[in-house]
Amino acid sequence: MPRKTKRIVRMVLRGVPNEVRELLRLARLRDGTHLGMQARAMPSQRLRGVASLSLAMIIFSISILIWTSISYPANLKAIDEVGREVSFPFPPKRIVSLAPNITEILFGLGLDQEIVGVSIHCNFPEKAKRKVQVGSYINLDFERIVSLKPALILATGAGNTREMVERLEKLGFPGYVIFPRNFNDVLQSIHHLGQVVGREKEAIGIIRGMEKRREKVVELTRDLPRPKIFLQIGENPIVTVGKGSFADDLIRLAGGENIAGNEKEMYPRLGREEILKRSPEIILISSMNPKGDYQRVLQEWSRWKMIPAVKNGRVHLIDSDLIDRPSPRIINGLEEIARILHPSRLNRQ
Amino acid sequence: MKVVTRKKVIIISTLLTILLILVILFSITLGSVKVKTLRSITILLQSILGLKEAGTETERTIILSLRFPRTLLAGLVGAGLSVSGAIFQALLRNPLADPYILGVSSGAAVGAIIAIFIGLGTLSFGLPLASFLGALLAIAVVFYFGRQDGKIHPNTLLLAGVIIGSFLSAIIMFFISISQREELHTIIFWLMGDFSFSNYQAIRIIFPYILLGFLLLYLRARHLNLILSGEESALQMGVDVERLKLISYLSASLITAASVSVCGLIGFVGLIVPHSVRLVFGPDHRLLIPSVALIGAAFLIASDTLARTLLAPTELPVGVITAAFGGPFFIYLLRTRKGVKTL
Amino acid sequence: MIDVRSISFRYHKSWVLQNVSFQVGKGEFIGVIGPNGSGKTTLLKILYRLLAPQQGEILFELLPLKKMSRIDIAKRIAVVAQETYLLFPFRVMEIVLMGRSPYLGHLMFERERDLEIAKKAMEWTEILNLSDRPIDELSGGERKRAFIARALVQESEVILLDEPTANLDIHHQIEFLNLILSLNRERGLTIVMATHDMNIASEFCDRLILLREGRIYRTGPPEEVITQETIETVYGCEVWVDQHPVSRMPRISILRKGGHEREALGRD
Repeated sequence: MPRKTKRIVRMVLRGVPNEVRELLRLARLRDGTHLGMQARAMPSQRLRGVASLSLAMIIFSISILIWTSISYPANLKAIDEVGREVSFPFPPKRIVSLAPNITEILFGLGLDQEIVGVSIHCNFPEKAKRKVQVGSYINLDFERIVSLKPALILATGAGNTREMVERLEKLGFPGYVIFPRNFNDVLQSIHHLGQVVGREKEAIGIIRGMEKRREKVVELTRDLPRPKIFLQIGENPIVTVGKGSFADDLIRLAGGENIAGNEKEMYPRLGREEILKRSPEIILISSMNPKGDYQRVLQEWSRWKMIPAVKNGRVHLIDSDLIDRPSPRIINGLEEIARILHPSRLNRQ
Repeated sequence: MKVVTRKKVIIISTLLTILLILVILFSITLGSVKVKTLRSITILLQSILGLKEAGTETERTIILSLRFPRTLLAGLVGAGLSVSGAIFQALLRNPLADPYILGVSSGAAVGAIIAIFIGLGTLSFGLPLASFLGALLAIAVVFYFGRQDGKIHPNTLLLAGVIIGSFLSAIIMFFISISQREELHTIIFWLMGDFSFSNYQAIRIIFPYILLGFLLLYLRARHLNLILSGEESALQMGVDVERLKLISYLSASLITAASVSVCGLIGFVGLIVPHSVRLVFGPDHRLLIPSVALIGAAFLIASDTLARTLLAPTELPVGVITAAFGGPFFIYLLRTRKGVKTL
Repeated sequence: MIDVRSISFRYHKSWVLQNVSFQVGKGEFIGVIGPNGSGKTTLLKILYRLLAPQQGEILFELLPLKKMSRIDIAKRIAVVAQETYLLFPFRVMEIVLMGRSPYLGHLMFERERDLEIAKKAMEWTEILNLSDRPIDELSGGERKRAFIARALVQESEVILLDEPTANLDIHHQIEFLNLILSLNRERGLTIVMATHDMNIASEFCDRLILLREGRIYRTGPPEEVITQETIETVYGCEVWVDQHPVSRMPRISILRKGGHEREALGRD
């Protein structure tokens, strides 16, 4: 806490007991048991006077406090998306991003020089690849982060761990955590991050753009029947997306029905038989696993001709960065899915 | 005369302590961020001696908040695992014994995994506490089966340990199979052994247990020698064998549980270090216990330093480094059969 | 010195020793013989209280054995048992020094005096030159002598031996037994030796205790215990018992089954 503020606080605190004593004394006077004190003036009037004085003092002190904390070394106090209180210099001039979606958002908001450190997964935009890397989702190079002297660390609840954020706090680096879970959350997070780095206007611009495009997709596909989709994000074992995941939200918005949409887990594992049973009309294969081979997975599916999607040749590849990364490009992912689901309707646009 | 005397123990312990200090100093000069060697050492020494601190704030944070606690913790755990490994080898009269042989590791792992699952893992003391309790529980169950009519039967104990260990491993696999991506990462890293979150609090928490275990064991070092030639033999020389076994097993288990609770399962340390030290200094526990502790500490510090600098900024799990030493070491042991009769 | 009164012992259901009573006088050299499973080793284990009898009691110089502390027993009775674990080989000196344990108490390191006693014991057993060698580098006979030295440093009045000559060749057997005999005659140690070799027992022991299925069948000097009739009854086999031409002690010889037609046929 800055020194000025401390002094003010001390003054207020010292003043309070005096007021309290005065009030008590008056209370006793009203009982009429106290001797030797001027009980002449109307007790209730005196009381009101003291009370309003105290109130004025309190209000004055609080405003001083607020004033000093905002305009002194400009520390912003905020509450992040997981409910933590964060205090950091505003606007933050050196930022470390611990997740690729955050990096995308920051660049999207127009920051570049301010970003001093990124995770090894941050691959978009191209400029991000040239930034200093500080580790992965689960393994941080604390020494490197310390040497970068960041003013603020940005992390995501879906990926980074609480331990690492707390560890960084203990080392003196405040962390702001976002936790978007669906399309709307992504818009919120972009907004929050915009506020946090002082680019709120740009954030709102991005959000409006995304909303407009989303509305378009929803409108175009509103009256169309919803084809059954299976989105595969893991090869061995077969992993798909369930309720509460981004991709599931996107599928819904794009006018499709996720055959795993009722699974409670975010990334459920379904056996091939189960998928067969649910007979999806379209299979989307996400390029998530860099080692995975799209051709091989495609070939694997081609043996199961009883699945409508395979029979009708509607097995498609989709960039996982577009559908599983809560960043501004998620609207691209939405549009891509919609194009695959309803080619006739959307390709006309 | 090549007998272990007080003088011998003091001299060797002093030399090894000096070696350990050198390893510690060396280790804090290395890391993914370059800090000049002399600067790192002066920062550390000035902090310990309470003098005005040198270096920039960044350097001080790196040395004092990141590297030094990590080195200390690695040393403490290295000493703990090595000592308990040596003791289990003596008590079970089995050269393949290591600190985890009585199911301690599986118990600790289950405790940790359950904590991660129910979200306790996010509390700073939640995870170590849960894994410590898990380890103690496993030990209690193994002892319940291994101890009959007030007597500990080493073979029964061993068997119980293996069975309980397997059972708990099955539970671990179950949890892994139903866990989601984020939990999975944390679990896997814990199972592989990880020092990246070392802090002074963890050291403060486990230090008393390890010290207590160490003292209880060292006070009985001479009796532990006797037990190596057989329990009946030790008994006829006046040793209260059952009491010795009970206290020794419990002390060694306590040390293991404490070590594992803060950093996960680090393998091979408790196996390689005792054997190597015995080859050089002999099996007399009066010298073995302190030597194994000091060398074990140095070894794990060196391994951890390698783990965090070899592929910076990526960190290898320290268990990978110790295993890399352990495999060839085992082959060497088997081929030469030096100093180990029953392999 | 040792008064064994009606002890009975069992491990699980069946009694291994039943109603065994005998006395061992100071300075005697006692041999315990009997078939396998007759309880020889168990008896020895009871004598140094590794096992406790369910019935009866043992008095050591009028003190009940079960009231004595482990250390007291160790100072009075030393045991040289079957070959024990040598997982991590100690040096001979270290092994011999272990026998001083009852006198060290909480001390961690041996004193000058203990080293002196150990050296003297090793001189006596003629292994002083081997004191720095690891025990696993010694021959069977030398190892046995090292364990005797260890028993000697315990400075006990009694030494118990369990099948001490098993696995030794004849040269080492004789060497060993003469050593024990001199311990008995020259230093007055009381010896109780369990053995399956009756000729040894006959030659070296003052008195024998013959066990049969957990009970004492006969006790007394060798000529009373080792007779054609007792051996054939207890062991259930045919043997030839005669008198050794030199020592005059009973001697057991083995004969092939079915007599000796070979001589009758003229083959030699």
